[in-house]
Amino acid sequence: MTKALGIINIEPFYVKVEGIEDFRPISASSILGRYRVIDFVLSNMTNSGIYNIDLQVKNRPRSTIQHISRTNYNINTKKGNIRILYGEKPVVNEIYNTDIAALASNMEFFDESNAPYVIMAPSHFIYVQNFRKMLDYHIKSGNDITALYQNVNSAQEAFLMCDTFDIDKNKRIKVMNKNLGKHKHEKISLETYIMSKDLFKKLVNEAKGVSSIYSFSDILADNLDSLKVGSYCHNGYAACLSTLKAYYKASMDIKREKELHKMINDDWPIYTVTNDTCPTLYAPGSKINNSIVGNGCVIEGTVQNCVIGRNVIIKKGAVVKDSVIMPDTFINKNVKIEKCVVDRLAIITHIKELKGTAEDPLYIGRGDRI
Amino acid sequence: MNTNNMVAMILAGGRGSRLFDLTKTEAKPAVHFGGKYRIIDFTLSNCANSNISTVGVLLQYESVLLSSYVSNSSYWGLDMKGGGVYALSPREKDESNLSVYKGTADAITQNIDFLDNAEAEYVLILSGDHIYKMNYEKMLEAHISANAEATIAVMEVPKKEASRFGIMNCDENDQIIEFEEKPANPKSNLASMGVYIFNYKTLRRFLKEDEKNHDSSHDFGKDIIPAFLANNLKLLAYRFKGYWKDVGTVESLWEANMDLLDDNSKLDLFDPNWKIYTGDTLAGPQLIGSKAKIDNAYITQGCVVDGEIKHSVLFTNSVVQEGAKIVDSVLMNDVKVGKNVRLYKCIVVDGVKIPDGMTFGSKNSKEVLLVTKKLVSEVE
Repeated sequence: MTKALGIINIEPFYVKVEGIEDFRPISASSILGRYRVIDFVLSNMTNSGIYNIDLQVKNRPRSTIQHISRTNYNINTKKGNIRILYGEKPVVNEIYNTDIAALASNMEFFDESNAPYVIMAPSHFIYVQNFRKMLDYHIKSGNDITALYQNVNSAQEAFLMCDTFDIDKNKRIKVMNKNLGKHKHEKISLETYIMSKDLFKKLVNEAKGVSSIYSFSDILADNLDSLKVGSYCHNGYAACLSTLKAYYKASMDIKREKELHKMINDDWPIYTVTNDTCPTLYAPGSKINNSIVGNGCVIEGTVQNCVIGRNVIIKKGAVVKDSVIMPDTFINKNVKIEKCVVDRLAIITHIKELKGTAEDPLYIGRGDRI
Repeated sequence: MNTNNMVAMILAGGRGSRLFDLTKTEAKPAVHFGGKYRIIDFTLSNCANSNISTVGVLLQYESVLLSSYVSNSSYWGLDMKGGGVYALSPREKDESNLSVYKGTADAITQNIDFLDNAEAEYVLILSGDHIYKMNYEKMLEAHISANAEATIAVMEVPKKEASRFGIMNCDENDQIIEFEEKPANPKSNLASMGVYIFNYKTLRRFLKEDEKNHDSSHDFGKDIIPAFLANNLKLLAYRFKGYWKDVGTVESLWEANMDLLDDNSKLDLFDPNWKIYTGDTLAGPQLIGSKAKIDNAYITQGCVVDGEIKHSVLFTNSVVQEGAKIVDSVLMNDVKVGKNVRLYKCIVVDGVKIPDGMTFGSKNSKEVLLVTKKLVSEVE
């Protein structure tokens, strides 16, 4: 068991996933056919031996609550726990709805844990990281805080508004900025921090004192001179699901065989909730390639370069290309779909053609009948 | 949830020797089926869906894996307080030495204490190696309203096959008047499915009698049912219509898998009102590659397909590489098929790796080929 309390943060102000977030936070939305976004960070924690996890939620928590239980994430049923913490104070304006406000209102729960360290991770990123290794590094380095980052060469179009780090030769973070898309190459913060619990509490209190709209990353930036803030480089795929386009792109990126198997394998399973759906039936005459598919589907039509969720029905003559189809969707005969994100339970039957672009994928709402 | 006072006892101790390598190290009910299931998932899910809360699974042959598997009551939602799935292997007792289960009836006799403790009013006897979906609660209703001492589920089989089964001869009210085990000249085509409901008190008495009879083979079909009939007790035949298959041979296991590809098959695993539950795996979603060609297939989690699949079933984590062609075949769990391999009408056993370029089976073969590790190494 790793001596750290896991805290999963609420998404910051810049996360605006058009459409999807009308129904649930991005962390609770379906990804890669059979997962929820939050399965990745939760599995990172449990695979790293962190069995006490506090999950912060804000708006529309139904989907998250329904999905979360410790038995699904291989958490010790006696010694471990996942708690869902709700920032109880009503807020007059969304700008007051910061992670600091949520963390501060739940401080007493963090005190209950006797783990000496805190690992705080975001719920709107997708990456695979062994937190135990990162914690070992943190302890050895003598840092007060260690922050995870990714070397990115697409910072002009992705990771916008995320924090960037300037790092000295001792891997200490000297300057923090926001990524405004000016440069291709940036060290992007993955908003994942390790520190002692005492320092964590101190920083949250301090932030609350400075400003009511402060976030954790603001107070970190304030303390770059006074604290030893180190960095830890993440290797492998990482995506920030802050927009519909980013969600779409991450789905398409991870779909590639190598990426998928690097992120999901026997050594690093991604836990999720079972739905007891049967395997997928590919009917005679169906055509499919370059796609990942969840269980329980009936594919009669043509599917190319897609991510297909559980229990999706695609009827004869339908052609679905370059799209993300979430679970329980019905696509009727001869419908043509290209570069779309179709949310759960949608029924597409009368309109015969739906088309978006890679830059601006077309979103079809949850349960919409078209 | 309403549960009834019926306890299910699943006979799962058979060797299944006609499945050869598939049952070399695990019991037949544990054999994988239909992509993601084990055969016993069907009876266990039927129990769960029929609101039965206590299930005993009688184990004997190669029981380690099956015992640990069925003990996960939560897989089937059978983990409510006061219920559960109990793995029952032969055991030494205060009043008797360790003894194997000598027959289907003896397996129950040796667990009379279990049924007493469960305060069973009715006992449902099942086989763990049949594939079907059946509502046992409806059968119990028929049993109660007919005021029967025992009810036996039957199904119509083609006349010419009837001599392979235990055949029930009934009167016009479906009351059983005669039972014939594998008759040479069957008088009816109502075959026993090996599904029995008994009033426990009566069954208990007959089992105790049977235990003392040294000439008995301690078998339900051969001894207990004839004894009920000889005592003029009321035995009801309960007619079942729908898919039912005993997957005792390589052929029948292959057929049952192929049935899943048939649009008109009566075995509907998509029905959300009667789900078949199973132990979930952590495998990722299935990945269909850019070179894949799939024409009628049943594929599950963790599979990676880059070859051509025609009329075949792929189980968890099986991999088919580029240029391979799989026709009318079943790839069981963790099978790896190399490049340009050809498979026709095969069942490839769990975990077998087929190197590039090999061919097994032939297009017009009548027989199903069981591809084992040994067979592959012989060809190599």
